[in-house]
Amino acid sequence: MSRWRYLLRRVLLSIPVIVFGLTITFVIVRMGPIDPVSAILGPEAGAAQRTRIEERLGLNQPLWEQYIDFMTDMLVPWSFDLGQSWVIQPGTDVTALLSSYAPRTLWLGFWSILIPIFVGIPLGFYAGLNSNSWGDYLASFGGIVWRAMPNFWLAIMLLAFLRLSDKFLFGFRWDTFIVEIDSLVGQPPLDFIAVTDWVSLGIISIPVGIYFSATTFLASFKQILPAAIVLGSSLMGNELRISRTAVLETINSNYVETAKAKGLRSRVIVWKHVFRNALIPLVPVITNEAFVLIGGSVIVEVIFGINGLGYLFYQGAIQGDFPLVSSLMFIFILVIVSINILQDFLYTILDPRVGYQ
Amino acid sequence: MTSLDPIQSTDTESGRVIRQMYEPLTHFPNGTTDVTNQLAEGYELSDDGLTYTFELKEGVQFHNGEEMTADDFVYSFRRLAESTNSERGNFIVGSPTFLNVSAEFDDEGGVVPESLAVEAVDDYTLEITLETQAPSALEILSYDAFSVVPEGIVGDIEGYDGEIDHSEFSSSEPVGTGPFEFETWESDAEAEVVRFDDYHGSVANVDAVHWQIIEDDEAQYTYAIEGNADIFELPTAQYESSLVDAETDDRGREIGTYGPMENGETVDYVGAPQLSTYYFAFNVPSVPRPVRQAIAYVMNRETLIQTLFEGRGQEAYTFTPSAMWPGGNDAYEDFIADYPYSRDEADRESAREVLEEAGYTEDDPYELTLTTYESDVFQEAGRELRDQLSGLGVELSLEQSPFATLIERGESGDLEFYSLGWTWSWPDLGYGLFGFEPENTDTSRMPEETNGYYLDWHQADTDAVEKAQSAWERASSNSDPEDEDVRNEAYIEMEEAVWDDAVCLPLYHDLQELFYYDHVDIEPFGAMGEYFQVYNDVTLDE
Repeated sequence: MSRWRYLLRRVLLSIPVIVFGLTITFVIVRMGPIDPVSAILGPEAGAAQRTRIEERLGLNQPLWEQYIDFMTDMLVPWSFDLGQSWVIQPGTDVTALLSSYAPRTLWLGFWSILIPIFVGIPLGFYAGLNSNSWGDYLASFGGIVWRAMPNFWLAIMLLAFLRLSDKFLFGFRWDTFIVEIDSLVGQPPLDFIAVTDWVSLGIISIPVGIYFSATTFLASFKQILPAAIVLGSSLMGNELRISRTAVLETINSNYVETAKAKGLRSRVIVWKHVFRNALIPLVPVITNEAFVLIGGSVIVEVIFGINGLGYLFYQGAIQGDFPLVSSLMFIFILVIVSINILQDFLYTILDPRVGYQ
Repeated sequence: MTSLDPIQSTDTESGRVIRQMYEPLTHFPNGTTDVTNQLAEGYELSDDGLTYTFELKEGVQFHNGEEMTADDFVYSFRRLAESTNSERGNFIVGSPTFLNVSAEFDDEGGVVPESLAVEAVDDYTLEITLETQAPSALEILSYDAFSVVPEGIVGDIEGYDGEIDHSEFSSSEPVGTGPFEFETWESDAEAEVVRFDDYHGSVANVDAVHWQIIEDDEAQYTYAIEGNADIFELPTAQYESSLVDAETDDRGREIGTYGPMENGETVDYVGAPQLSTYYFAFNVPSVPRPVRQAIAYVMNRETLIQTLFEGRGQEAYTFTPSAMWPGGNDAYEDFIADYPYSRDEADRESAREVLEEAGYTEDDPYELTLTTYESDVFQEAGRELRDQLSGLGVELSLEQSPFATLIERGESGDLEFYSLGWTWSWPDLGYGLFGFEPENTDTSRMPEETNGYYLDWHQADTDAVEKAQSAWERASSNSDPEDEDVRNEAYIEMEEAVWDDAVCLPLYHDLQELFYYDHVDIEPFGAMGEYFQVYNDVTLDE
């Protein structure tokens, strides 16, 4: 089977997974104990009020009809509609809510994946290549400590530390360092990049004018940094431990011995052979972490006042905002399924021995 | 925040922003308990007590430049009753607890379009006809759901096409008559309103009001301590009661300073007891009077509130909150000076005496179960009571039950000793005391015919029962708005009866506390809650 046929098969096989995922979502949210009408009305409302809201939301239809409607809205391309929020912001399009919450989470997720990759993996490689040295002990121990610190605790400590940075660091003030930010908490300013001009070629529009502000970008990065470090802390510990083990394993394998005997320079051995092979076990670790990018972490988002998708999902779920929760679930399922496909695909590139059967 | 449409929002966060932009006929200035006119100039009530004729303020402008007339009110009230976007329809039709304006209903219980008995007599006269008398009509009309919006702005009732979509109206283009107009709202991030220069009342001193929407305690604290907020709350974890230096005013509020805080600043402090009561109550036939009294003796509210919420609550001795006590705080203090049990200490000796007299001793104790809903506060309070009662002849065991189950068990008369809370929507004593009318506490007829607290007090054979019953009947037969004194006197008798029989032991009233940096000049808020306060009279001196 060729690589492309394999890919196509994986894509087709993911369709039943998505249908199943959506069905489970429907069952859990609609048949679970949370009642959106009560969440909207509060305890002071009367029965007539309930009936009217049920009618407006379509909750008076038989359940199977609601299910069919829901599935067609989600899956049939020409009637695709994510619907309107019921409880969180009644009547607002879910797409509008997504476009205001998603950028915050993506920005946080992006940095909390990137920082650990560029800190955790090099440290792990260093530790693996110099195993049982003091440097290795320090890096490994540090990794375990990072891994073990609970997010919510680390977040609160980091906030308190940065808030009082001039007391702890002899007058160093974090809030005015490099670029000034108003507050440690709250959303990062994401308007540092914008398209100012479009040129249309037939039906395709191409951006030609791009606005970019380095100061706002820096402020935005600085605003998200503490949260990204906290959210990435455990990922970093993970990556460090796994890459250390992977390097150790490869470096002690026979072919490395052979290469050494052959007189290959150790730089070439490490970069061309060890590095590539050691990456294989890291692929699933990193792709699984990519879920952070979309789901975020409710606790970290909330403590740093970022209130992104994770928080939105949590609020929607506890208040029975079905259109919101199901749309988010739909997106989460799509992302997870495609990341899984991507991961298997990457395997086949990194390690040709992985088969397609 | 959920929505900026006054008939759609049901949460205090949205209400806080809505009140800066929209105005109803009446309001509670600064959230105190005195209802006054807002867009109404005055009103007349017909002899049967059913028709209110409001004279409206002239020259009131909406943010879009149109002038407000009685037709705008008719449209706004019709939306409240008829629109599918309305989540407060029962405030205006179909419920005798609220306003109950006359209207016709279709088969499904919806209001027939244009049947609502609200009429514009002329541009500045509005006539409202009720189905049943409503002694609290003026208070009910102050709900933000009764705010005026320009006629025809959205087409969600029959006869109007609407100028803008409802989703725009509720999130980005609200139009009202208030001192501030809409600037921005980003979900779960921030909201801002700016000064409306053509406001009909006193034009705001500040340029804008900005809210940062922060869920987490730690983040709120950080934001406040950095000096980003002028007005803020403090999470209990960061609060120290010893830093408060405040005096009680004639409304029972604590006003003073708090600090120094972590950043070295000392800030202004207002703590106002709110219109809510959390209490313990008994099923009267299943718990003998001496046992109830013994528990009243050993309950030390001050210590409980200190241990439970770092002192952030107000001790409750009467069911009616002190903030709405007839005659104000002094009258309240006089009244509770006669509290028949011990006030701020656990009086184990008196408890032992009543129990011994009734034949309950350590060796032959009375066994009692306290059921609370899933709340750490009440469980902790229960443990405290159990410890105080140990060795006295009452053996208290504790159990927790989910809220819905607790209510169900209460209605079937299956709770011996339980905890619950009550919140007043407007300052009317009857709104809380109706549940103590002995006949109304009959759990065998709940929830269809009776809706009182789960006491079964009517089964007791004491003077207090008769006193409470006749006081309630006296209060409800004098429903004319003029007869407030007669009603209040009767309500106070009911409170005395509750004391005598110890059927209910109030524990605490919510205490709302706000902190203001020194440069903020603002009136203290009142018992209705800080979200009633409109910021047009605030000045900042930076």
